[in-house]
Amino acid sequence: MMLLIWLVMTLFFLSSSISYELTTKTEHMPDIILTQTKAGREGFVDEKIVDHILEIEGVSRAYAYIKAPYQFKEDISFTIFGVDPFEEIDDPFIAHLLERYNLESGSMLVSHDVKELMKKAYYTKEFNFIRPDGSLKRVQIAKEFDTKNAPHYRWLIVMSKEDARDILGLAGSEATNIAIDVANKLETPLIAAKLKEYYPNAKVVTKKEQKLLYEQSFNFYSGTFLILFSITLLTFFIIIYDRLSGMSSEERREIGILKAIGWRIEDVLGAKFYEAFFIAVFSYIAGVSIAYLYVFYLKAPLLGNIFLHDAFLQTQQFSLAPHIEFFYLFLVFLLVVPLYFAAVIIPAWRVATLDADEVMR
Amino acid sequence: MIRSLFVAMLFLTTLFAHADYSQAVKIKKIYPLGKKIYEKKCKELDLDGLSTQEELLQRINGSKCSKLSSKYKEALTLYLWEQKLHNHTPHYKALKVTKEQKCPVCGMFLYKYPNWVSMIEYNNGKKYYFDGMKDLMKYYFENPNGVKQILTQAYYRQKTINAKDAYFVTGSDIYGPMGNEFIPLANKEAAKKFLIEHRGKKIIRFESITPEMVEALD
Repeated sequence: MMLLIWLVMTLFFLSSSISYELTTKTEHMPDIILTQTKAGREGFVDEKIVDHILEIEGVSRAYAYIKAPYQFKEDISFTIFGVDPFEEIDDPFIAHLLERYNLESGSMLVSHDVKELMKKAYYTKEFNFIRPDGSLKRVQIAKEFDTKNAPHYRWLIVMSKEDARDILGLAGSEATNIAIDVANKLETPLIAAKLKEYYPNAKVVTKKEQKLLYEQSFNFYSGTFLILFSITLLTFFIIIYDRLSGMSSEERREIGILKAIGWRIEDVLGAKFYEAFFIAVFSYIAGVSIAYLYVFYLKAPLLGNIFLHDAFLQTQQFSLAPHIEFFYLFLVFLLVVPLYFAAVIIPAWRVATLDADEVMR
Repeated sequence: MIRSLFVAMLFLTTLFAHADYSQAVKIKKIYPLGKKIYEKKCKELDLDGLSTQEELLQRINGSKCSKLSSKYKEALTLYLWEQKLHNHTPHYKALKVTKEQKCPVCGMFLYKYPNWVSMIEYNNGKKYYFDGMKDLMKYYFENPNGVKQILTQAYYRQKTINAKDAYFVTGSDIYGPMGNEFIPLANKEAAKKFLIEHRGKKIIRFESITPEMVEALD
């Protein structure tokens, strides 16, 4: 029983938490993100086209930024985010960092994990990045920040655009993305179409399209979830059926003995009632709590892979913040407890009303 | 004499030569950048008694903000000179509606259509909010007296503008909550662009709107 509830609740917690996170994340994305391709591969945008994009009437804001990986070790890449400290950035996490800390040229803001890693390599106040041509670039570590609430920024380094370009080997005004905000959302598809015309090689993704992409991959993995859920439900009903269809001879004996001792029907039923109630509620509470701990503290080690599949993970990493939809809790409770209850009480009642002798046979 | 004056003028302009930015780039990029620099780093700048932009630049160079890059200094100067000190275009506050407010003409809840909210304010202080210029005009023609101001929101910029300054486009493929609408644009260029891109039929000013036009849109 408990196992069942735990499984169901785990799946529910996971799915609700992830879908909630997806929606909140996409809220703060810029309305349109433009990247360039060159010969079919990811290329670089020229920052100068921002002025041209701003000429489009409906565009309220446009800025270029650099977001690129920097290989530190074989399995760890830092994410370098090159920004202009005085530009308004859509991403609330990075905007908050820029508000709090002064970003000067030649210095950077690093995440806690990055700082630790650099410390291990004996870099405490500064770090030497290796340029593509092999030369070194020294950047001062200005401040470190905490990424507990933003695990997708675990390896984030924020620095000025010039420093980022220097390290990554980008030319004078190259950047990786241009973020575009549109004042009147009705205009977004039109502006996206215009951008595609102006820059034929560019990849123009609107917020809506990005949301759809996330939802699509999420729904795909939801399918697996649904299968598991159906199986658990089926198992549950098998248990119920088993209980309903009759009682094992032991149970009959038990009831028979109780009646022989002199227990009245009401008492037997009462005892059964408490027993069933206790089992149902206890397993419900236990199942839910274990599922809660499993998902939000242990971060769902094995089952989590249903949703946090590698392909999906590429785009997102989830912090799995506790987001409980009481609807689910309620649903499972209503589903499980009364049914189990009934499944225990009804046969017990049937048996208890039989004569004591008959039962013992 | 005139020639020397001309040369002197040329000289003066080169003293502070900077790239010419279009109005759009200025409003959307330069001014916000300058504003942020001012608020974050140069709030202590004394802005009184400045008679020319060059003086302002000199004062910036004399303050702790002299260490900024030339790009930032330019943005700061332009923002301070053109926006903070010399921008006299009236700035209207955003039109906010509560969840309970309804359009007096059609009874629809206004909070569902924040982009379309338009307002008439009368001299007696009463304000009426509508879900589009069409309904506003219907009400206006019934109560044309004692109007203090009529405000609406520009389509592209979503900023509050005065209806008397606006350019309206009719017959376009953009529908408001009440169907066909007078789409307000902040200026003539925007109206022209809108007319072409959204297949509008006419550009009109506020004074030219007649009750027949309003009926025709229904």
